[in-house]
Amino acid sequence: MSEIMQEKETTLYLGPQHPGITGNMMIELKVTGDTVQRGTTHVGYLHRGFEKLMEERLWMQCFPIVCRICVPEPDPNEENLARAIEEIEGREVPERAQYIRTMVLELSRMATYLLWMGGQSGSAGLYTMPQWTVGDRDYIIDLFEELTGGRVYHMYIWAGGVRRDLPDGFKDRVRKVLDYLEERLTDYDRLLFENAVFLKRAQGVGIIDKEKAEEWGVVGPPLRGCGIARDVRKDEPYEVYDKLDWEVITHEGSDVYSRAMVRRKEFEQSISIVRQVLDKMPEGPVHNPGPNPLKWKVPAGEAYVRTESARGEFGYYVVSDGSLKPRRVHVRGPAYVHGVTLLEKMLKGMNIADVSFIMNSLGTCPPEIER
Amino acid sequence: MEPLFQFFNNLFPFISDWPEWLAHTVVGVVTVLLLFGFVALFALFAIWLERKISAHMQDRLGPMEVGGWHGWAQPIADAIKLLVKEDIIPAMADRTLFKLAPVIVFTAALAGFAVLPWSQDFIPADLNVGLLYILSVSSFAVIGLLMGGWASNNKWSLYGAMRAASQMISYEIPVALALLAVIMNAGTMSMRHLVIAQSGNILDWNVFNFFPLTAVAFFIYFVASLAEVNRTPFDLPEGESELVGGFHTEYSSMRFAFFFLGEYANMYIVSAIATTVFLGGWLAPFEALNFIPGPIWFVGKAMTLVFIQMWLRWTLPRLRVDQLMYTCWKVLTPFSFAIILLIGLWKVL
Repeated sequence: MSEIMQEKETTLYLGPQHPGITGNMMIELKVTGDTVQRGTTHVGYLHRGFEKLMEERLWMQCFPIVCRICVPEPDPNEENLARAIEEIEGREVPERAQYIRTMVLELSRMATYLLWMGGQSGSAGLYTMPQWTVGDRDYIIDLFEELTGGRVYHMYIWAGGVRRDLPDGFKDRVRKVLDYLEERLTDYDRLLFENAVFLKRAQGVGIIDKEKAEEWGVVGPPLRGCGIARDVRKDEPYEVYDKLDWEVITHEGSDVYSRAMVRRKEFEQSISIVRQVLDKMPEGPVHNPGPNPLKWKVPAGEAYVRTESARGEFGYYVVSDGSLKPRRVHVRGPAYVHGVTLLEKMLKGMNIADVSFIMNSLGTCPPEIER
Repeated sequence: MEPLFQFFNNLFPFISDWPEWLAHTVVGVVTVLLLFGFVALFALFAIWLERKISAHMQDRLGPMEVGGWHGWAQPIADAIKLLVKEDIIPAMADRTLFKLAPVIVFTAALAGFAVLPWSQDFIPADLNVGLLYILSVSSFAVIGLLMGGWASNNKWSLYGAMRAASQMISYEIPVALALLAVIMNAGTMSMRHLVIAQSGNILDWNVFNFFPLTAVAFFIYFVASLAEVNRTPFDLPEGESELVGGFHTEYSSMRFAFFFLGEYANMYIVSAIATTVFLGGWLAPFEALNFIPGPIWFVGKAMTLVFIQMWLRWTLPRLRVDQLMYTCWKVLTPFSFAIILLIGLWKVL
């Protein structure tokens, strides 16, 4: 090739101040023309040292910390830590509390998917969708506010059950919101999921190698978007997921569109799961109280428990040495795999326009990468 | 500017007593001021309209406070804010080009207004190559965008500017070809005569001529004109999630406002061209409605097209660069060639 034909490589810094990035991180892109030659992710803009912080806190004080690991979905973290502690302690959870936990987890999944729908279409330049979904998410947030007192951070699920019982008439209000959201899905379909331009942008873009997906540690909707049925809720049922009627949703294609359709269908499924939970919920206590939180010593031991969050599998490894504070809490989230290692692999040969589009489709949550 | 002169003569007969140089100067200056006033007013109104339309599509209210009724004074407040804001020029920017760019963009937009036929008589300049003129001056804006992107000394701006240049130059071809299909039939490029050739009722408009060939040409023109003015789904030069703000990332205060003004003026110009060439300009759809003055029809038709542009913006995502070029070179251009060919055959036979 002659000198003129050779394109010069340019460095572009996508973030941390960039409307296309999903949070506090930066991607350093080496581009020629519009094509990315390679990309390096730079994280560390939001390092809060939560894992270390928890070693200096009482067990009870860990709950307000873990729910801040990923801002859009605090509940899977709370539930995961609570379940890990229960496993070490061997504490029983009342059945009603398990049902309530399942309901909270599914509502939180729906709220996260609504935020994701907004982000996905916003990164494609369609700004009506974020306004709709963030507005509709507010109905779920209102339910959370009534149930837990908090809108974003709930600190509702704790060891031994949940903090308080459902308020009067709460089930009916949940049903009303579910009916509304189910009806609203047709609008979403018309605006985004069946939009010809969106299909053009999403189909065949951002393909994850199906053979390598599990090896790379891809989890959650991106893995199910490759046609691999893997869901912690089914593989290793927790709470009451084994008592409910539901199927793992997969979609062939491995591209942005199949990931979008997995989330779209799971949103519909969550509505049905919450309805089943509301129907089957038994009466009874919601909390199996432990000792005074200030004198609460968890017996020595360790546990690793998994939860399926809206963005993939969360794993909590908790070690206790029998003292007032945890010895070690390690969080394994999906965002590091999706947002750092997988994204870097996928960036090569990508168009600049697709970077934030694909990043959104992987459900990257930068606060969770650093914890 | 003979028809314009006639128009003012009829309105104010005393003009004919003035020496010719004075009359021409006064008429020219008054027209320019009128058009500038229209552009500014239109931009303010369109900004308000766009905010209200987007708000209603997105289950919001939009501006409601300033001015009382539905926040009608919100764009005025915004304009004042932009006027008094600090004007920031990046330290490493090319200051001359940076200052010149918004001026060129806005001038190009304003120059297009010179040949728009508002009514039978009110047309600032009735050039016999009016359509050619308006196509040429509107592509002038590319130079301004390139200047702005280059002078900002920001990679995102430069990317936006390069995209704007490639996009606008490519899409000029389907725009010109689609218009050519009509010009072939009308045999004139004067904006005024193009409209006069369509007199009659709604079925005499060019869009229904050679049905459905010119209707397709109109569609091609409309799609390509969206790309000409950087509207969704072709808003790549300023695609937020990709290029921050594109070529105007580094602009602030009044310089930014001029880019904005130019953009909205261009939206009006492409709609006005479509109105003139395809939709019968100032003519009423039915003879019975002739009592409504021409300018109202002209502005009304153009505003309908502007509304459709806004509507599309809030319901469509943006295309990728390669898809954008594909649409232009492999879809719109061949189809407009085919239409020219078919209309030519039709006429010969």
